[in-house]
Amino acid sequence: MAAPRPEAALPGTGYLPPGPPLLPPVGVSSRRLASQRLGRALRLWIPAGIVLLILATCFLLPQVTSLPSPTNGNILDAGDPPFSPGHWLGTDPVGVDVFSQLVYGGQVAFEIGFGVTGIGIAVGSLLGVTAGYFGGWVDAILSRVLDILIAFPALVLALAIAEGLGPSEVHVIWALSAFSIPAFGRLTRGATLVVRDLPFMVAARLAGTRGWRVIARHVLPNIMPGIVTFSLLGIGVVIILEGALDYLGEGIPPPTASWGAMIASGQTVLTAQPEYVLIPSIVLVIVVAALNMLGDALRERWGVR
Amino acid sequence: MTGARLAGSPALRLVGRRLLAAIVVLWGVTFLTFAVMSALPNDTAQVLLGLHATPAQVAELNKALGLNRPFPVRYWHWLVGLLHGNLGTDLEGASVNSQLAQHLPVTLELLAYALIGSLLLAVIVAVLAARKPNSLADRFSLGVSMLGLSAAPYAFAIFLIVIFAVKLNWFPVQSNSLGSGTLLSFFQQGTLPAASLGFPLFAIYTRLLRADLVEQLQREDYIVTAKAKGLAPWRVLIGHALRNSVFSLITVVGLNLGTLIGAAAIIEALFSVPGIGAELLTAIGNKDVPLIEGVVLVFALVTVLGNLAADLAYAVLDPRIRYGRSTS
Repeated sequence: MAAPRPEAALPGTGYLPPGPPLLPPVGVSSRRLASQRLGRALRLWIPAGIVLLILATCFLLPQVTSLPSPTNGNILDAGDPPFSPGHWLGTDPVGVDVFSQLVYGGQVAFEIGFGVTGIGIAVGSLLGVTAGYFGGWVDAILSRVLDILIAFPALVLALAIAEGLGPSEVHVIWALSAFSIPAFGRLTRGATLVVRDLPFMVAARLAGTRGWRVIARHVLPNIMPGIVTFSLLGIGVVIILEGALDYLGEGIPPPTASWGAMIASGQTVLTAQPEYVLIPSIVLVIVVAALNMLGDALRERWGVR
Repeated sequence: MTGARLAGSPALRLVGRRLLAAIVVLWGVTFLTFAVMSALPNDTAQVLLGLHATPAQVAELNKALGLNRPFPVRYWHWLVGLLHGNLGTDLEGASVNSQLAQHLPVTLELLAYALIGSLLLAVIVAVLAARKPNSLADRFSLGVSMLGLSAAPYAFAIFLIVIFAVKLNWFPVQSNSLGSGTLLSFFQQGTLPAASLGFPLFAIYTRLLRADLVEQLQREDYIVTAKAKGLAPWRVLIGHALRNSVFSLITVVGLNLGTLIGAAAIIEALFSVPGIGAELLTAIGNKDVPLIEGVVLVFALVTVLGNLAADLAYAVLDPRIRYGRSTS
């Protein structure tokens, strides 16, 4: 049984003071400790390696080698099975190379994932930290704004924008930000409330530090771990949502390759050739799972909940 | 609890404040939807009349539909109608109220099936996993919930269709008469869509509940007390830890209700479920603003009520709030 944490300062808030994790109970063998340490390292570096590998494949590989076109194919090569010469993941029913589609579709997915999450962090954190730090009527107004954005179905906005302005990568990024901004806003508001009244924060205020300076020097560094781990989850969610827009034909305009569009077009030949749905779906799961596991590992390391 | 005590109770004040905020949020959502739909280029009349319509015809239809009036006027009319319980008519001339009455119950039944199913499974799996952290059962549950968290619902639905509808022939591929048959046909047609909607929910709930249970078991003093009293581990887990962990689960369920509409729309379209989500996708395609407004309003209402219900459940179930002590 674990000993109670001596400095579990804020029961009920889930706040853990930063610092090394709980010491293991006495009587644990050194071999067991070493294997625990190895497990912790693997939990971090395996997903991190997968994410880096996929990022490199999507963004660096097309720079150093020449891939077949992701939009045009030779109809004579149509429907090649995986591991065909020249097309190692095969070609789709109109002869376009599947691997190239995955690579270029991945570029779009990551660009949108990073873009939407970046906007969410910038705008959402500004709103959330301001609301949490200043409290009072500022908090009341900003929280209602965030509530409204949360209650507003982001998919409706995304589809409406795509319908009204025409689908494009930039429109998709703005539309999905309607989802990331309130999510980060709510997260940072809660985190700010937790750290706001900690002793070092009170000390900084008593020392006469101005509000914005306290936020920049003391609040932001302390809520950063939560933002980073949450944004890894967020990128995964955004990639799934972007795929959903493509799947509905309202995301990235054709002929640009996208994972959602690959799944949607593969659906038409599903029973005969399930690999057209299988391959992009599995890639999607691997990417999102690696991001989620990386987020989990960092959370464990940094003691974020 | 006597009436006088209830009236002055902090719980009731909390609920009152929340109710007020909920109304503000609902108004904001309708305003935002209207603003977004008006800001987008509007070619509804052109779409309805076809490519060969003359500008004069387009202008006439715009006038007939009231689309040429300025945005504040249209919003005001809609708001007045709403207060009279009338959500207007959609572009095909049917009243939005009747559209909602026809399609909403199907969606709500489907969502209820998915929610209840995923909650039940999540509680069972999380309790089994938390009983022995890092055991085989725990690792398996973590793996499955990681898969649920990472799989795109539309891709997962396609695989369910291939395996259970096409290959095994256990369920129909299309669920187009969902909500209009017997209970048996509901389960036949509703299981695959509900599973597609419920799998990510199950993953979220299981991860959350398991983490919370493990933390309660390791850290909280009341668990130490319960164990010291000599209670069986099962009773400590279910009677004490689970009872406490359910609160954070309730919040997440309430918060998640709103995000379900997006997923429901895609899944309904995929399985041809005659629900409000599929109707919403069509409405967006047709720029049918009254219908979009109606559906968005209903789902914002569900979200807000979900949050409110979570707060209420807190206030009723958690003695720390019921008796007005701060929890943090």
